[in-house]
Amino acid sequence: MYFLGIDIGSLSCDAVLIDENKNIISSAVIPTGVKNIEAIARVKKMVMQSSFISESDIKSIISTGYGRKRVEGRDGAVTEITCHAKGIRHVIPKTGIVIDIGGQDSKAILLSEQGKVVDFAMNDKCAAGTGRFLEAMARALEVQIDELGDLDRDAEEDLVLSSMCTVFAESEVVSLIAKGTEQKEIAKGLNRSIASRTNSLVKRVSKNFNGKCMAMSGGVARNRGVVKAIEESLGIEKLHIPDDPDIIGALGAALIAFDRYTGNKE
Amino acid sequence: MMYEYFENMVQGVTAKLAEEPGKINAKKRYVREIARLGKKLYAENEKIAWCGVTVPFDLLNAMGVTSCFVEFVGAMLSSNETAPLFMKEAEDSGYAPDSCAYHRSVTGAVLKGMMPDPDFIIGSSSPCTAGLAVMENMAKKFNRDFFILNIPQNNSRNSVKYLADQLKEMADFIGKHTKEPLSLEKLGTALEFHNECSRILKDIYDLAKQTPSPVDNKLLRDFGTVVTLFMGSSKGVEICRAFKDELTDRIKSDKIDPSKEQIRLMWIQNRIQYQFPIEKILEDLGAKIVVDELNDVTWEPMDPDNPFESIAKRIITIPYSLGTDKRIAHMQALATDYRIDGAINPCHWGCRQGTGVRGLTTAGLKQINVPVLNLEIDCVDSRNLAKGQIATRVEAFAEMLTQ
Repeated sequence: MYFLGIDIGSLSCDAVLIDENKNIISSAVIPTGVKNIEAIARVKKMVMQSSFISESDIKSIISTGYGRKRVEGRDGAVTEITCHAKGIRHVIPKTGIVIDIGGQDSKAILLSEQGKVVDFAMNDKCAAGTGRFLEAMARALEVQIDELGDLDRDAEEDLVLSSMCTVFAESEVVSLIAKGTEQKEIAKGLNRSIASRTNSLVKRVSKNFNGKCMAMSGGVARNRGVVKAIEESLGIEKLHIPDDPDIIGALGAALIAFDRYTGNKE
Repeated sequence: MMYEYFENMVQGVTAKLAEEPGKINAKKRYVREIARLGKKLYAENEKIAWCGVTVPFDLLNAMGVTSCFVEFVGAMLSSNETAPLFMKEAEDSGYAPDSCAYHRSVTGAVLKGMMPDPDFIIGSSSPCTAGLAVMENMAKKFNRDFFILNIPQNNSRNSVKYLADQLKEMADFIGKHTKEPLSLEKLGTALEFHNECSRILKDIYDLAKQTPSPVDNKLLRDFGTVVTLFMGSSKGVEICRAFKDELTDRIKSDKIDPSKEQIRLMWIQNRIQYQFPIEKILEDLGAKIVVDELNDVTWEPMDPDNPFESIAKRIITIPYSLGTDKRIAHMQALATDYRIDGAINPCHWGCRQGTGVRGLTTAGLKQINVPVLNLEIDCVDSRNLAKGQIATRVEAFAEMLTQ
């Protein structure tokens, strides 16, 4: 028996296939692009090909992410809040708070001891502090998004970006470049501003987060600069990052597919 | 143009009611009365007053004045999808695009000449001062006299007297403009109607509290705010009776689907006014709004022999008029009485009551273990709606409550 989770987000489309023992058999992460239905088909094909199983062996499919209702053949659609909570607890069981920074939203999710969602907070109105924000800033800094993570490594200043609006921040970055501010200092300033937003989301769900294990999912968790800035902002020793932060939503969806099919109430 | 719009609405609803003579159809009857009021507001030879939400409409009715709160127009323009046109007019004139869209659309309607020229304007310091500013602008634009009721934020004997004295002044102000002084006999009759409405409303809300609740997600939307326009009249009694009959009929005829009530919700403040299927989204999730914060507000009977103090006391005890602690206490009582599983606060953009005190209201409800979903919705300006994001938050909230 196999169970498939598909997370169709605004930036990436991820799939995870698990077996009846909840082991990950295969996974894939691809850019969503402008045609999300094609991305869904492609990511599904990729996990099927690398797992060498036939589609008929899949007992249940759960979709998540903003395109969750566009996944054909799904047995259910569950929001990314529930899926990220489920996924992260599977890989980091002691997690009490999940931070997920996705393509168009960022969120903090408070979990009970049993791993149930108790509260959540998401970014307000705009894309500030999200993956899209980072994409725009990478463009302004003329670096690849993957390069952003280490860009602030030797930065020394505590540069503050006054605007968190993606459009205004981009123009602020351009102004800083024009003034001759070093890339690493700007990158640090950007990471600090994202951390400040994230800090606020965490505090909204849990004012007393000390002692709680905090973990981060989503592609931005690969950005070491952002992770470090969040740790500093929250004053925590370690923000736990799973090995594959990008697939946590899809993993959660696959686990929910398993639970629903088998009647598992865990 | 607006007169014809409301006239068409009256005719359309009347025709639909005629097709179903045996049905109670409370909502349609109510909508028809709203349309009739709209018609009167745009008719010639009517005495018209634009007002604040907490102004006593029963007193105005008793003095033969057709009156309405200005936010009603904002809601109406939003529901028929024309609000952006008027808001743009206001924005082009310098009004901030992130100010309250109820008021921005009204301001735009004034600037575009779509608001009927009133005989006078009466504002109130509660529930919001932004509304007062809009009415000040209106008064200037129309060159009309503007009376302000300053509503105290505490319920004491002195406060009641202070407001009662203002109400007497207000009656004199109205009389000067209509050339007809207040008849205490007519005011007494209006208060009797109001008392009767209040009695029936209590029955309505008692019915709504039942499990499963006979309400649906749409039946009582924004009812408590709008019905006050009619409560001092026989029409108000008819409307309230129709709703009570409708709910009683639903219970008796076993028409309530319990599967649509896996989650019982409270909606904080006003609903979304434009076409966004939040009620359908909730219904599909098995969630039912069993109570709106602004609905279940009723009063002890007023004394027709002591009308001004009675009305003053009524206005002061509206939870919105009092400090936030009283508003929170009201919400907590509703949460308990209606046995809700969670509450949704749309946090209407630019609103002190919605967004300004959201931290306090959330903490107040969490104190009694009621989870709250704070959304970021402009309830009137559909241009600011992020449909997918809102749907995700609502669905996640429902998942959280049912897991």
